[in-house]
Amino acid sequence: MQRWALWCLLAVLAVPAVAGVQAGQQAPALSLPSLSSASPAQLSLASLQGKVVYLDFWASWCGPCRVSFPQLEQLRQELAPQGFEILAVNVDEFEADAREFLEEIPVTYPVVRDGTGATPAAWGILGMPTGYLIDRQGVVRLVHQGYRKSDGTALRASIIELLGE
Amino acid sequence: MASRPGDKHPALLALTSSALLLPAYQGVRADAPPEFTEIGLRYSKYEEDDTQGSKTFGGSSQRYDIDAAQFHLLAPVADNWAVAVDVQWEDMSGASPWFVGESLDGSPKVIMSGASIEDTRTEVSVTTRYYYDRGNAGFNYVRSKEDDYDSDAIALDGSVNSADGMTTYSGAISASSDDIEPTQGSVPTNTIKADKDIRSAWVGVSRIVSKNAIVRFGLSYTYRDGFLTDPYKLYDQRPDERKEWAVSTGYRQYFFWPNGALHADYRYFDDDWGIASHTLDLAWHQNLGNDTQLIPFLRYYSQDEADFFANIANTDQRYYSEDYRLSAFGAVSGGLRLRHTIGNWAITAVGERYETDESWGVYSGEESPALVDYWRYSFGLDYIFK
Amino acid sequence: MKQLICLCVVLCLCGCETVQPWERGTLAKREMQWQADAMEISLQAQINASKEASSGGQGAAGGGCGCN
Repeated sequence: MQRWALWCLLAVLAVPAVAGVQAGQQAPALSLPSLSSASPAQLSLASLQGKVVYLDFWASWCGPCRVSFPQLEQLRQELAPQGFEILAVNVDEFEADAREFLEEIPVTYPVVRDGTGATPAAWGILGMPTGYLIDRQGVVRLVHQGYRKSDGTALRASIIELLGE
Repeated sequence: MASRPGDKHPALLALTSSALLLPAYQGVRADAPPEFTEIGLRYSKYEEDDTQGSKTFGGSSQRYDIDAAQFHLLAPVADNWAVAVDVQWEDMSGASPWFVGESLDGSPKVIMSGASIEDTRTEVSVTTRYYYDRGNAGFNYVRSKEDDYDSDAIALDGSVNSADGMTTYSGAISASSDDIEPTQGSVPTNTIKADKDIRSAWVGVSRIVSKNAIVRFGLSYTYRDGFLTDPYKLYDQRPDERKEWAVSTGYRQYFFWPNGALHADYRYFDDDWGIASHTLDLAWHQNLGNDTQLIPFLRYYSQDEADFFANIANTDQRYYSEDYRLSAFGAVSGGLRLRHTIGNWAITAVGERYETDESWGVYSGEESPALVDYWRYSFGLDYIFK
Repeated sequence: MKQLICLCVVLCLCGCETVQPWERGTLAKREMQWQADAMEISLQAQINASKEASSGGQGAAGGGCGCN
């Protein structure tokens, strides 16, 4: 009994080996139904090839997303003419929760949805929110965990650098 | 300082003691500061039932009334910090048990303190908390002041999440230094000036059980040293040391169809004065639409008597006390909490009833004639700066 | 008794499938927090500690409690 208990404890404490999408890798394909009404029914990363893309995994219950959304909207409005786009992926279990959030904090950038958990699992999301900054060639250059108030500034600098490449 | 029976001098009669230390965020949100500043106000009224005429010399007597106000502020600072400020004011008045005597028929009866007393207590608590990607750490300072009682306390706490975020490990240590200077004059006191120190440590672990449930375990140890006797009681002489242990567990589960959550918490307490207790808290958080929550709650408490407790104290012994709070009894309390949100505002209302009886406990002992019952009401207003 | 507690703790901490970060929406609800209303919990804990002989459990003891 003692040994079994010990194995159990080790299993709990063991760090899981997660093979998520890392910086330097080619971004996997992604094509999901759209949530925003002003866009085509299905949106894919491929259709954004040639642009610098910030892929943002978010959920209505994620607190830091209330800070990130307005900041990302501002970034997009400023840098879109230079070829910057944001693709937000909602992972809420219930679509109604996502729509309620978007009503409260509307954005003009495209929002898609996967409520099954398959997409975040494929990308190896370790926390909410997680953002991937992808360059014009489709390579992930930055994985951004969480969101703090001052993250917008650092993110802006990285985006401008990639836009200049 | 906790409510304590006293005479004309209301020291130590305050309802609220310095805040128990609890990390501000636990479990799911251990690693990010709050997004927005929030403030809250609470007003509470605490009213003890009159004593029972058959158990009081001189017939039924009015007991204790307390008005309390609480203020709370929680604000994020820069990227990784948060500051919390909590202030409490209490205004108390009433009579309380002074000692117990044997009536003609042999049953113990309580003698209440005389005229009504009045006192005010103020407490300020400040906590700064630092958040990093896997957890947080906080430092807290509390100062409490009233006519004859001063307390300073500090505490440190921390939480760490496991790599997969499923488990959170927490710990806290605290130390406090209290000065007691009972007001002289009306009643002979057990001391002119005294002090006591409290040291405490706690460790806890909280774990996600499923998408809908979490569980936690905690262990705490507290050491009290110094003047632990009640200075205003006629027959009261307690040891100058007290060692306490508490083991606790808690569970939360959300149920989709009723759209509500079950809360269950249990604590077992044990000390070296012979006191042991069980506490069980249950609550059901029912959502009514998106803006309202109705929360009925129930609590069961049962404690054993202190080794040196007796209704009629034997003053030949080294230690003795007639304080009903060291007697064996069971307490059942329950009530309702209501919370309604309107935009960035929230209003809350709570009503609670608490009753004690020796026969309701699982431990048996002498029943004190001074067991207390009370009503408590609270009203609150919260605002979040979005 | 101690062995039973140990077993309970281990059982609860173990044998649970990992809940992924994107599946933690329900756990973020207000009614699923360990303490949703800090002022209410604090007030209740302090009333109880001053009318009963026990205190603490979920955190280190605070400062001076006049309740010997």
